[in-house]
Amino acid sequence: MISPLSPSKYFLSAAAVLLSALGHTATAETSAPHPMMPEKHRALFKENCQRCHNEEKQKGHFRVDDLPFTITSVEVAEKWQKILNAMNSGDMPPDDEKQPEKTAKADFLDDLAHTMVAARRDLGDQNGIITMRRLNRREYGNTLRDLLGVEINVSELPSDTGVGFDTAGINLFMSGNQLEQYQSLGMEALNEAFARHAAAGEQRKLHYEAEEFTPVIQKFVAYQIDARERAERWVKAVDEAAARPENAEIVAQLRKTVKNDTLFRREWEKIPGAPSPRSFGFDKKGENDADLANDSLKAGWLEYHQYYLRQPAVDRGAYLGTETRHPAELNPKSVNVLVPFSWPAGNYIVRVRAGVTKDSPPDRHFLDFGINARQGPVLASREITGTIDDPQIVEFPLTMTRGNSDHDTRTIYFREKGAWDTNEEGIRRRSEAVKRNGIGPELALWIDWVEVERVPDAGKPVPPGIAALSIPLEDNAPALPAPELRAALERFATEAFRGVPPATKYLDRLVDLYESSRKMGDKPGLALKETLSVILASPAFLYLAEPASDEKRSPLTAAELSARLSYFLWSAPPDDTLRALAKNGDLLKPEVLAAQTERLLDDSRADSFVHAFVHQWLGMDRFDFFEVNRAAYPRFDNGTKLSAREEVYATIAYQLRHNCSLRDLLKSDYVVVDRVLANYYGLTGVQGQGFEKVTLPPDSPRGGLLGMAAVLFMGGNGDRTSPVERGAWVLRKVLHDPPPPAPANVPALTRLAGKVLTTEERLRAHQEDPQCASCHRKIDPIGFALENFDAAGQWRTEDSYQAIDAKGKPDPKTKKTWTIQAAATLHKGPAFHDFPEFRDIVCARSHDFARGFSEALLEYAIGRPLGFRDEPVLTDIIHQAEGKNLAMREFILAVVRSPEFHTK
Amino acid sequence: MNTRLTRRHFLRSSTALIALPVLESLGFRRFASAAAPAAPPKRLVFLSFGWGITNETWYPDINQPGAGYAISPGLKPLERHKGDFSIVQGLWNKYSSDGHWGSTMWLTGANRYAQPGQTFHNSISADQVAAAKFGLNTRFASLQLNGSEDGDRSGHGPGLSLAWDVSGKPIGGQKGPLEAYHRLFSRDDTPIEKQKTMLAQKRSVLDTVLENANSLKRGLGQTDTAKLDEYFQGIRDIETRLSKDEQWIGVPPAAAPLPEPKPGLAGREEIRLMYDIMVAAMQTDSTRVLTYRQPTSTLLTSLDIKVAPHDMSHYHSTMGEKLDASQRRDLAQSELLAGFIDKLKATKEADGSRLFDNLALAYGSNIRTEHNLDNCPTLLTGGGAGIKLGHNIVVSKDTPLCNAWLTLLHGLGIEAERHGDSSGMIKELVA
Repeated sequence: MISPLSPSKYFLSAAAVLLSALGHTATAETSAPHPMMPEKHRALFKENCQRCHNEEKQKGHFRVDDLPFTITSVEVAEKWQKILNAMNSGDMPPDDEKQPEKTAKADFLDDLAHTMVAARRDLGDQNGIITMRRLNRREYGNTLRDLLGVEINVSELPSDTGVGFDTAGINLFMSGNQLEQYQSLGMEALNEAFARHAAAGEQRKLHYEAEEFTPVIQKFVAYQIDARERAERWVKAVDEAAARPENAEIVAQLRKTVKNDTLFRREWEKIPGAPSPRSFGFDKKGENDADLANDSLKAGWLEYHQYYLRQPAVDRGAYLGTETRHPAELNPKSVNVLVPFSWPAGNYIVRVRAGVTKDSPPDRHFLDFGINARQGPVLASREITGTIDDPQIVEFPLTMTRGNSDHDTRTIYFREKGAWDTNEEGIRRRSEAVKRNGIGPELALWIDWVEVERVPDAGKPVPPGIAALSIPLEDNAPALPAPELRAALERFATEAFRGVPPATKYLDRLVDLYESSRKMGDKPGLALKETLSVILASPAFLYLAEPASDEKRSPLTAAELSARLSYFLWSAPPDDTLRALAKNGDLLKPEVLAAQTERLLDDSRADSFVHAFVHQWLGMDRFDFFEVNRAAYPRFDNGTKLSAREEVYATIAYQLRHNCSLRDLLKSDYVVVDRVLANYYGLTGVQGQGFEKVTLPPDSPRGGLLGMAAVLFMGGNGDRTSPVERGAWVLRKVLHDPPPPAPANVPALTRLAGKVLTTEERLRAHQEDPQCASCHRKIDPIGFALENFDAAGQWRTEDSYQAIDAKGKPDPKTKKTWTIQAAATLHKGPAFHDFPEFRDIVCARSHDFARGFSEALLEYAIGRPLGFRDEPVLTDIIHQAEGKNLAMREFILAVVRSPEFHTK
Repeated sequence: MNTRLTRRHFLRSSTALIALPVLESLGFRRFASAAAPAAPPKRLVFLSFGWGITNETWYPDINQPGAGYAISPGLKPLERHKGDFSIVQGLWNKYSSDGHWGSTMWLTGANRYAQPGQTFHNSISADQVAAAKFGLNTRFASLQLNGSEDGDRSGHGPGLSLAWDVSGKPIGGQKGPLEAYHRLFSRDDTPIEKQKTMLAQKRSVLDTVLENANSLKRGLGQTDTAKLDEYFQGIRDIETRLSKDEQWIGVPPAAAPLPEPKPGLAGREEIRLMYDIMVAAMQTDSTRVLTYRQPTSTLLTSLDIKVAPHDMSHYHSTMGEKLDASQRRDLAQSELLAGFIDKLKATKEADGSRLFDNLALAYGSNIRTEHNLDNCPTLLTGGGAGIKLGHNIVVSKDTPLCNAWLTLLHGLGIEAERHGDSSGMIKELVA
């Protein structure tokens, strides 16, 4: 997503300019040098291109002899792009012409592709102008949350991602549709907030004893036994009727049309003397009663149900098993609790008292919690360490909104982790167990009771938007006199506009709106909400405006700075403290600004920054691009996936909190994991229930981004690893040497399709054509270094490949297995023999990593793509951070100190 | 479970088809009485999918141009319409260089890098050129359907639908069948007087935010003013719509010729239903310009394909299950399109001609396969633009795709001088 600034070798050497600017705080006002194709390629260009595309010949009406190597305009860039495209596609030079030497061509393409990236960036440079920015989708949601104290679903808005960071004002569009969406989402937030306000004092609590399930399953077992016995008698009676000699002809006729006994019995009516299923108590309510009798004969999962009832603690709680019957009929798979419909939206706590069964394997001691057992996601996975005799209580915080309005979305569930993530996966696990023990999955978890409590908001601070109104909010409250209403609207708008009071005329119109809404028959409460929703769709709320003249770039005011800072580190508006410091101007003092930066980073709202920034910086959207092949990686279930994703964020959040060195992301002797992931990695030592630091054993491959399951998972397709994806990711995100975007129109390598080859053999093919080699010679060796991690991020020493047969199924006869040797030589770089050696090479390049991190951070913070003019600022940031051993907060402090952050 | 659902929906769709009354009995009558058209209106439809097609099996043999070509395996489900559509080979958008952008510039032909000082630029899409004219007489100037996933997984690239407005800004679309259905057919039972008051109230809302926008504008520099202009444009768009609403006050929206879709449909069923809704939108003359940015990821899921969409488009290196997925995707899409054409043919206009006879429909993508952006897959059908049908049309390599769009626009009676990077009309396309 982010294409870092190109290495300066693709720029005209302007070292003098650069050096003189180093360390200075002012941005370079000198005209920036333009990207250029390195001069060393002139010979190849002359020999292989110019001979046909010159002034006289102009083959294809294209001439390049006058094409400058320095790219200064869109026109020149387009010509070079055309050359790059034609060479990548293999069209040029034509087959019957002299071909350049392979390596020289690969080098040419390598440099040209990078030059083009630099040129696009150069030509697209906004010259330091930061475009006024609309709140992006995340910020909009957070801003409503901070104003009104409610979280609403904003997913119907465009995601604002796609080109660059979602903070880049130039790419944040507005449309009529969106404007209306803002108004209706604002209305939704107001409804929620007013409802929350009305119910602020309400406390509710319910207690569910899980053994309530026991009589249900007892009754079902009794029914199954009885029904089977009745079904057997009915079958016997039908068989007897069928055996009568006088029925022989009819029976023979029937047998021809049906495949088996079950289907034969469905036709009982045609057999004279056969009794009806209903006379044996089978009533299928309008359908063929025989279906019910046939089904009862099988008494599906009866043995599993009986196994359940033999467990020692069914009198005191419920075990978590597998799905047997349709869940509406019987549900031994999960414990579900409905939150009563009459309970209002608000903050809830769900408690569960649970234990593990004797002798069950530790890998099965994890409990999934979520909403909507049928199709809802897992919200949290927790390890259960208590036993049935000594159970433990685990708490889950939960927010219920007005959106939780139907049975599904009001039903919470507890299930064994991974037991039934999907029907396919659940059935797979179940049949494995049946194969193993003849019955079904052994019971590993037990629940004593579940408690659901709505926590009153009383005592908590009233959200600033509601506090600002300070008028009665009930729908049937008496209408306010105009002056009071006007004052309330003014206070609310000022709060919503981050401290900027609204203009008089605007207020007039708001009051008019309220009045006309009342005249239309709306109750005061509704008229008020309608009017407020217009404020929430007004530009002063939706845009972070920093008025400035065109002539000169000028410093931000303290208020503007406070908004820039809080949207940088919280993705949310400035709080009272920041606003006060902006008002008295103290925020402009460097030491105050630094202290506030630290305070914001210490606040839980900084999680928004970590999530949004890391998600975009590291390209985490790929994490959701595909499903894992669960047959191959059964342990990478939904709960593990959730924790694996969270590890990336939790690690960086931890490192920010403790101001660790950025180097820790390259290699560290610790990881930040929860119990789920510790179990997945085979580590011990997690004390609490959340993510925490755990020291690694000395020989561990974990510690740092390259050992994270999420990063490794993204470098594959959920089934097989992709050394190319992984290599490109490392170049992009870690080594700050991004390969140019995958070129269009490169002929595909089809020669090896269907062949059974090792990964190394397959990758070697990339070296044959210069078009491929120009990028892959850098990418592939890196991907190769990570081959000891499988597609779900587990360590492995072997890999195998099977050809796919004509039906699309793997053919075991072709299976080839090999031992992984993660040894390779980096392009124009050192050799390594295994992953640890490779990791050390990467670790030694922390400067490059810091550079990429700084670029991403600055771009995210100021909301515009970077250009050459930003070189001095970047150098400065890295310089300051290096002075503090690359401490993470130092980068952020340096960005906040930088002149760019203070300028509009 | 899937098969049962499929069947039920199939039945419902086909009942809907059978139950469709001819146009004159519906909203069309109103139109007829208002203006008494001599001929049914012209219409334009664009359908695009992410991640391209299977190169080896989708295209007819390029060496077999003309009407006598053999249908390719990927187009097999369309065989019954073979005389009624053409495949065009050799088209591309020459400025396209993003291998994952199947739709962003598909209808615009823009150069992403054309504007110095910006890293992203786009221009008006062909459908909006048509909507400026065709949209004047219908309740909705154009209809944008967007079934695509967000972000880089979609294979469509940036955008909110296939449509880009006159300043090259993305236009939002209706997300699922249910949303589209309500947009088109939700009936407002409010009394007319009340509706008028509500319209006035909506205008007051616009005046209020406009007031705020004007005071914000004071003191802004040039770039920021340009940015805020989008907000003003948004207000104008709503204003235009309100004026339209006002014109249509008291005229109930056309009765929906199909039942309300179930929520949560995805993939194949979603596309099928979207096609039904598009037919309904045309049949009721609710709009004459329609685009649909189709989902790929959910389509694969609904076909029980486990391969991820991007992976599938890179089938070349391993073939096997990825190739299989890619080909099954082609077949499913062709089947759906064939069903759509069936309905376009089965639905009659007031003068007895078929919807099919009066529209132009283009179906394709900016991506051919993998990251290849040349010979963009292009299928043209419909009798409205005088396009030559039934042919495998091979134009000279690297003809601008916008030439094809220009030819369609002219065929429909829109005399645009040029569109995007067009260099002229394609005479081989004209019947």
